[in-house]
Amino acid sequence: MHQAGGSQSSWVRQYAFYFDSSACSGCKACQAACKDKHDLPVNILWRRVYEIVGGNWTKSGNLWVPGVFSYYISMACHQCAKPICGDGCPTKAIYKRQDGIVLLDTEACIGCRLCEWACPYGALQFDEATRLMTKCHFCFDYIDSGKPPACVAACPMRALDFGELADLRKKYGATNQVFPLPEAAITEPALVIKPHRDAPRATKDTAEVANWEEI
Amino acid sequence: MVAGASFCTESASGWNSRYLTFPFLSAVVVVLGLAAGVSLFHLGRPWRTVFVLKNLKRSWLSREILFELVFMALAASLALLVLEKVYRPMLVRALVTLAFAASLLFIICMAKLYMMRTVPTWRGLYTPLSFFGTALLLGPLGAAFSYDKLLDLGRKAPPFLDAAAIVALAAVVLILLTIFLFTPGLGLFGPKKATLLELPATKMYPYLLFRLLFLSGTVLCSFLYYRNPSAPLLTIAFLCALAAEAAGRLLFYAVYSRLGV
Repeated sequence: MHQAGGSQSSWVRQYAFYFDSSACSGCKACQAACKDKHDLPVNILWRRVYEIVGGNWTKSGNLWVPGVFSYYISMACHQCAKPICGDGCPTKAIYKRQDGIVLLDTEACIGCRLCEWACPYGALQFDEATRLMTKCHFCFDYIDSGKPPACVAACPMRALDFGELADLRKKYGATNQVFPLPEAAITEPALVIKPHRDAPRATKDTAEVANWEEI
Repeated sequence: MVAGASFCTESASGWNSRYLTFPFLSAVVVVLGLAAGVSLFHLGRPWRTVFVLKNLKRSWLSREILFELVFMALAASLALLVLEKVYRPMLVRALVTLAFAASLLFIICMAKLYMMRTVPTWRGLYTPLSFFGTALLLGPLGAAFSYDKLLDLGRKAPPFLDAAAIVALAAVVLILLTIFLFTPGLGLFGPKKATLLELPATKMYPYLLFRLLFLSGTVLCSFLYYRNPSAPLLTIAFLCALAAEAAGRLLFYAVYSRLGV
């Protein structure tokens, strides 16, 4: 499986995903569509849906008042402007296409797993069967033939979108970091998020990922 | 690392061709080769390692492998010179100095490789100090052990053993300081410290315990060897140091914690 780019959209400088956390119902259709399209083995998910839970119940007189919250974050590789995964790669197997898509050349990968350690989004995943790294490549084959990525097409809530990063920012704003994602300045992810209304309440001390066993 | 620090000991104690033997130098090359082999076969596709020097501009792994190869080549050249009985002091000294420099750069690159921006637990002083602590402990002890085994010196210990003992003792102090000052989640400096009560429940605890135990064994056997030099004690001291540093590596991986998800 050689993941290299064929024809590409020369007018796009940086492809990006948009994710509307306020609309996501956590159905995981995106995750399933991705797994199905790329025939991914067990334990590998190029797109993952994180369930974030937090808050608490407080007692007010005789009443227990709910202050709990929950929301979803659907994540794949963010095709970062500064892909930290590629910086450490000794064989230059990870590279960016002209349209910003970060690709992994499986013919050059040696399976050292440094990129897996480095990526703060968990986008690089090791395939035990092939002993090589794998990652989301933005369905570049679909993109090149004018179709949307499988995850975007599968979302019943229209919580996912894709396009040129500058256009998405114009349309949806510039937010690219909510809990539990890391500080965006590290890798400059090509991502635009519409945060859930409760996202501002979520911090490392008040919220957590509740479905680690699934992802 | 074993070989790198043994060269360091040689340089520190002054070159003496009496100890520059083919068995010792070839042992250095063999140890390095074995270490390289082990790291090679944990890769997914070991036979593709011929491409690992492609990213010297940005990848610390590429640089690490480059300096390992340079060091290995220099050690092999020295072994060849000795085998062919070509004793040219200037040439030998130049090769030893270059090998020493290559071994230092090799360890620096190895440490930098782990000091990733997204892994705060490896980003600090803990990583380089751990790596240099290991090299400075195992190197002198390894060299002393090899000489003891290969030259059959018996009770006539070579003079460089004193320097080796001092370097190894300093390494033990360095390792203990690194553990108690900089270990993520335990050391005085750095975020989120575990209390003594919480410590047994942490992932690092068994490795920490083993490391301290074997370090104590190293110090004790070295001290007894100093009082009464006999081969088994040096062997036990070396094996204890080897076990301590193997536990140290596992401790190092146990503190891995990445930013994000």
